[in-house]
Amino acid sequence: MMSGQDIDQMEVMNFQKLAHELLPGGASFESCIACGLCASGCPASGFYGMDPRRFIRMAMLGLNEELSRTPWVWTCTQCKRCQYVCPMSIDVSVLVAAARSNWPKAKVPKGIMRSCDAQLRDVSTSAMGVRSEDFVEIVEETAEELRGSDRRFADIKVPVDKKGAEFIINQNSREPAAEPEELAPLWKIFDYVGADWTYASKGWAAENFCMFTGDDELWKQMVKTRVDAINELGCKTWINTECGHSFYTIWKGVERFGLKADFEAGSLVSYYAKWIREGKLPVNSDWNRDNLKFTLQDPCQLVRKSIGDPVADDLRFVARTLVGEDNFIDMQPGGNANYCCGGGGGFLQAGMSEQRRAYGRRKFDQIATTKADYVLTPCHNCHSQMEDLGEFYGGQYRVVHFWTLICLSLGILGPDERKYLGPDLAGIGLET
Amino acid sequence: MSGHQGAKRHYETEVLIIGGGVTGTGIMRDLALRGIHSLLIDRQDLNAGASGGNHGLLHSGGRYVAADAETAAECRAESELLKRLAPECIDPCGGLFVAVEGDDPEFAARFPDHCAVAGIPCEEISPTEARKMEPALSEKVYAAYQVPDATVDPFRLTLQNVNHARRLGFGDFLPHMGVEGFDIEGGELKAARCRDLRSGEEVLISARQIVNAGGAWAMNIARLAGCADVNLIYSKGTLIVSNTRLSQRVVNRLRLPGDGDILVPGGTVSLLGTSSVTIEDPDDARPTIAEVDKILAEGAVMMPPLADTRFIRAFSGVRPLLMASGAAEDGRKASRGFSLITHEDQNLSNFVTIAGGKLTTFRLMAEKTGDLVAQRLGNSAPCATHTVPLPTENAVGWTEPGFAARDWYQRADASDMILCECEMTPQSAVDAIVSDAPGSEHHMSLQAIALRSRVGKGACQGAFCAMRVTSHLYDRGIYDSPEGLELMRDFVTERFKGVRPVLWGRQLPQMELAETLHCGLTGLDLLGAKKPGSGRAS
Amino acid sequence: MKRELRRVETGLAIIGAGLAGFAASIFALRRGLDTAQLGHTGAIAYTTGYFDLLGVMDGRVLDEPWAGLDALREAEPAHPFARLGNDEIREAFEIFTDAISDMGIAYSKPGDHNLSALLPSGVAKPTLSVPATMLPGVEAFRTGAKTLIVDFPGLQGFSATEFKVNFAASWPALSVCRIEFPGFEGQQLYPEVLARSLEAPHGREPLAEKIRAVLDGAEYVGLPAVLGMHAPDEVHADMERRIGARLFEIPTIPPAVPGIRLREMFERELPRRGLVLVPQLKVSRSELGADGAVHHLQGPLEDLEISARATLLATGRFLSGGLYADQAGLRETLLGLPVVQPSGRDNWYRRDYLDPRGHQLNRAGLETDAQFRPLDAAGAPVNPRLFAAGAVLAHQDWVRQRCGAGLAIAAAYGAVKAAAEMLNGSA
Ligand SMILES: Cc1cc2nc3c(=O)[nH]c(=O)nc-3n(C[C@H](O)[C@H](O)[C@H](O)COP(=O)(O)OP(=O)(O)OC[C@H]3O[C@@H](n4cnc5c(N)ncnc54)[C@H](O)[C@@H]3O)c2cc1C
Ligand SMILES: Cc1cc2nc3c(=O)[nH]c(=O)nc-3n(C[C@H](O)[C@H](O)[C@H](O)COP(=O)(O)OP(=O)(O)OC[C@H]3O[C@@H](n4cnc5c(N)ncnc54)[C@H](O)[C@@H]3O)c2cc1C
Ligand code: SF4
Ligand code: SF4
Repeated sequence: MMSGQDIDQMEVMNFQKLAHELLPGGASFESCIACGLCASGCPASGFYGMDPRRFIRMAMLGLNEELSRTPWVWTCTQCKRCQYVCPMSIDVSVLVAAARSNWPKAKVPKGIMRSCDAQLRDVSTSAMGVRSEDFVEIVEETAEELRGSDRRFADIKVPVDKKGAEFIINQNSREPAAEPEELAPLWKIFDYVGADWTYASKGWAAENFCMFTGDDELWKQMVKTRVDAINELGCKTWINTECGHSFYTIWKGVERFGLKADFEAGSLVSYYAKWIREGKLPVNSDWNRDNLKFTLQDPCQLVRKSIGDPVADDLRFVARTLVGEDNFIDMQPGGNANYCCGGGGGFLQAGMSEQRRAYGRRKFDQIATTKADYVLTPCHNCHSQMEDLGEFYGGQYRVVHFWTLICLSLGILGPDERKYLGPDLAGIGLET
Repeated sequence: MSGHQGAKRHYETEVLIIGGGVTGTGIMRDLALRGIHSLLIDRQDLNAGASGGNHGLLHSGGRYVAADAETAAECRAESELLKRLAPECIDPCGGLFVAVEGDDPEFAARFPDHCAVAGIPCEEISPTEARKMEPALSEKVYAAYQVPDATVDPFRLTLQNVNHARRLGFGDFLPHMGVEGFDIEGGELKAARCRDLRSGEEVLISARQIVNAGGAWAMNIARLAGCADVNLIYSKGTLIVSNTRLSQRVVNRLRLPGDGDILVPGGTVSLLGTSSVTIEDPDDARPTIAEVDKILAEGAVMMPPLADTRFIRAFSGVRPLLMASGAAEDGRKASRGFSLITHEDQNLSNFVTIAGGKLTTFRLMAEKTGDLVAQRLGNSAPCATHTVPLPTENAVGWTEPGFAARDWYQRADASDMILCECEMTPQSAVDAIVSDAPGSEHHMSLQAIALRSRVGKGACQGAFCAMRVTSHLYDRGIYDSPEGLELMRDFVTERFKGVRPVLWGRQLPQMELAETLHCGLTGLDLLGAKKPGSGRAS
Repeated sequence: MKRELRRVETGLAIIGAGLAGFAASIFALRRGLDTAQLGHTGAIAYTTGYFDLLGVMDGRVLDEPWAGLDALREAEPAHPFARLGNDEIREAFEIFTDAISDMGIAYSKPGDHNLSALLPSGVAKPTLSVPATMLPGVEAFRTGAKTLIVDFPGLQGFSATEFKVNFAASWPALSVCRIEFPGFEGQQLYPEVLARSLEAPHGREPLAEKIRAVLDGAEYVGLPAVLGMHAPDEVHADMERRIGARLFEIPTIPPAVPGIRLREMFERELPRRGLVLVPQLKVSRSELGADGAVHHLQGPLEDLEISARATLLATGRFLSGGLYADQAGLRETLLGLPVVQPSGRDNWYRRDYLDPRGHQLNRAGLETDAQFRPLDAAGAPVNPRLFAAGAVLAHQDWVRQRCGAGLAIAAAYGAVKAAAEMLNGSA
């Protein structure tokens, strides 16, 4: 490892060469017509004098030292919006990842590196240091509490390492580490639809900060631990929880590193939609008596970078069903064209809050324009970032998980599972 | 020195230099260092001739060792001097000579001996090593030698020449001033009859000595003075410019000079050339599609990736070849030496023509001319250009590829708006050029700014920057009439000449966008067209 | 883990997401066709927002485009416009502008005369229909009204002074003012960013206040096109109210708002009206058969296979990737259709860039019959189920003739009509 080395002594990468190697012929930097659509649509434009077009132009001009060293690469969230709006489909984020990989580990933003280091320390792959055995214990304790506190779930099963279960699901570390009560809503949903599911004790964590370091080896190691654990349990389908990049990191990792994965990948949102359509989750918006308004944040990692329209449609279907057709207000632009919130790519952990908030200002404006009371999002990074933006810019909205509203609608949301609901909703369903 | 006499504008100077190429500007500086005042004129602007249309190779001499040992030795000596005295203008990148299967092995084998004769350091390296140094080289390279070739930015060189003379207080420059005739009296040229080609106004310039540094036009100019002793044939050379830099070093084909056999880095781009075609008229020097295809096909033999490289423009320059030296039909085989023609046998005592030569040897040419002119004026100061470094300053530094980008990135001052995104040239650079660069005494146009910077030279070839710079010039009050749009039209029309021959592949979409912007969004194709019915122009 | 394969069956597949492609979708949905549109972004992102029908012929500016079309049919019988009558073109144009107005960007009704619309350089261009946010500018210019043009430091390529100086002779009542865009002081500005910031209700008053302060009795105020992205008419009306003067937008150089606005509107609204839209991807391969075509696309995670009983190619030219040029010649990129083209590169472009005759390359493209079916080398339709529209067609020079949108709309109308007849006949 290069730790301790100074940025000035960093190896200088040849970005032109990298662009030729990493990007498809028709979409290489060589095709750029300097139109600036990418820069115009990129919320990271302007930091450190950089933007995606400038990144390309500087690569073409051979400004390799500057590109190798610019801290801008930590403000680009690798959301690929630039590629989406570029007539030539040029993807700057691939080169940004390459640039990140070149940074000495000691200079990588500490939050990202610390999280990745933590992930490497235990087979749990948890960035918050929740070890495998701790996780099993927390799950068991929380389940026990649930069984005790709510008669309806007295027999609920929360399987770990159940071989041959139909579904295996990952878990963002935030819940077991900081708010275990938030684990339960999802279990209840699984229980409600009668899903045959399990957690894995190894590699259960969803987040992957190692990918954000740009170091392919670390990314691979993370994915491999997880994929091996899933393979070992022989589950048919891996469901990704309400988390954006954890989905991308697995499928892209499997593809990129040629890993063997004996399972199919699905997004939890798609299953929500499926179960609602099949009548297994009979949710509706009756609870929304005050006609509170909801909007939706499409996580880049899940929508633009992965599944695209099908999942964007599912998200909207679930949201509309849950909050009521007229109470749902789409953000503009949305779906594939949506803006990154600024929490992605490790930005939230990178400690550059001034830039991160400036980046997120566009998201804040988008949310404010909808005049929504709540923002729904199936992503923990989006969630935290939007909460922070609301606080910083004086927004009046709150951010909620889907599982909260689903359980709320089904009347099974426990009193301590309402952390993200405002006073307007905190009491709903508790009267009886 | 200037003033009005009757209706005509009239200037007086000690020395009038005709031709704002590297030679003329070199002479201007040479004289200024001797304390001699000169007025430099060009019918267009600086570097409008071969000095703006060359390969930018600061020859180690290697190229000429086989055919012309004298020129080779001159190149060696001059390039060593320039590397020391004008470092800002030079990229000492080194050069390779490579022989590719099919090239004469004997010619290749003799190369080191030839270099030794001319005193040029030359080191043989293995083809594998050569490919390690330049990965784009063909697998078919079988011999390779390393020589101290370098590249030179001819624009910066001229600008610094003029600027130095200006700062010494011994030189002025008038662009767009063409010589049309001379007043001859008693074996002397009393004055040059000129025209300001923008206003159409006649201008008279009286001088004690007149230097013809008209490059390929030197014969025409000499004839205006009644001199029949300058006989030139014109050889057009064409080059193509790639979007990016393809090699670190100059790469020469190790064979008798032919088409497409030198690839020269130009900072952030590469230039592949040249061709050599004899033409009748030095003004007829557009690059053609046939030439471009030929250069490219030849170049790709040496460096295969050239075949799918994006080229952003082509350009041509004219080499004036002196008939007196018995030049053969193929321009490239003729001598690259230069001649100082005193015209004394034409019964003129104050006229001199300097013709031929190379960019690399311009200083020497200026020295010889300066010696003669000084002697005629009775000035005994010796030439100083071989010891005094060529100074630089902000307003003349913007032609260096990549400089603006690095500079801006370091400052990252968002309020210093970038006007040319391809080359990252900011408004402060344009402002500096408009207020301080040589020629700034006169009304600056987009074209003049582009010549003094990288504006218009990147991938978009003026598609966007023409509009952004024009807007900025209106904002600054430099443009204050609809003429600004006409100047934009002239600029993009001029750029197009060079883009046309390389329009295929990835440069064509760029052109298509440019045309829609220049016509659809700016209406340049309809400037002046009348709209029927309403009186308003559209 | 394997890539998913998603199969979609449709009646009409429209390939291309430019004006022609979107217009085709509008016409096809109106005809009740089961329609899928597949297309990556392209030239549409750069448009001014003006919809030209026919603005120039032989270097002359046209006041009456409809009469111009009659003349064009005479002079250029191979022109795609010659395949349709004025009544059809008018209907197409009206359906299109109505549909767009209905989808959220109000456009002026196409009339009998060309409008003189404003360009940022301070010249006017002949066009037929303009967004409501730009229409007051046409009026202000026509009447020579007292007008204030505002620009913002940091916005590349837009100078109120340039606008004023170039219009000065015909529009003396212009004045200019430069103000810092509130909240973005000292930054490089992108019109898109400003437009989105004005979309948020809290973004408007600070700008309105600054403009009010410098109004000085101006009847109209002109701004670079930044008045909102997805609800421009609402932003426009609200800003007019706040400023207390008529307000209009002037198009800007790319990256500009009007094209992005149109693209986002189509992508948002058309799926709600029944279109299957795949907006992010390029068709990588198409197979033509006797019963229709199969189009293949690759998403990040899944492969897509679109089977269509008819296909409409609206893939644009070089900028959008429908045509490609190498040193030897031009080709159509998706199906390898024959491209009508000048012989040899030397004939592609004239020597003079702005030669009023335009470049021959601009007239290269697909040869079609009266039903807009691409023809093979022998002059027969390549496939009875294949149609083409828009800039990819031969024998037109939309740039010089100022007929970009008109060509896209008219040809899309004709091609969809032919496709519908074929589908209905064969169904
Ligand atoms: C294709 C090509 C490639 C070359 N490559 C190299 C190289 O790599 N290395 C190297 O060392 N050398 C190279 N050379 C040679 C070098 O470019 C020339 O030797 C040098 O630029 C000549 O400069 P100059 O000032 O003598 O002439 P020019 O630069 O041609 O200047 C003559 C000037 O006179 C002006 N003029 C003409 N008529 C009139 C008039 N009536 N009134 C006023 N002004 C007038 C013109 O506008 C012009 O600006 C190359 C030449 C060519 C053509
Ligand atoms: C700078 C500029 C200014 C303009 N201004 C005006 C104006 O003022 N007035 C006016 O009327 N018009 C204007 N236009 C023209 C107009 O926007 C359209 O470009 C033109 O009408 C052609 O439309 P089109 O749909 O045929 O082609 P395009 O707009 O070029 O669309 C072609 C589409 O096909 C897609 N495509 C290509 N290959 C594939 C594939 N294999 N798979 C899927 N999709 C594919 C491309 O991505 C693109 O989206 C302007 C255009 C430009 C560039
Ligand atoms: S959008 Fe694409 S073509 Fe335009 S500047 Fe960005 S990368 Fe280049
Ligand atoms: S990936 Fe996102 S943040 Fe990064 S350059 Fe592209 S648009 Fe900007």
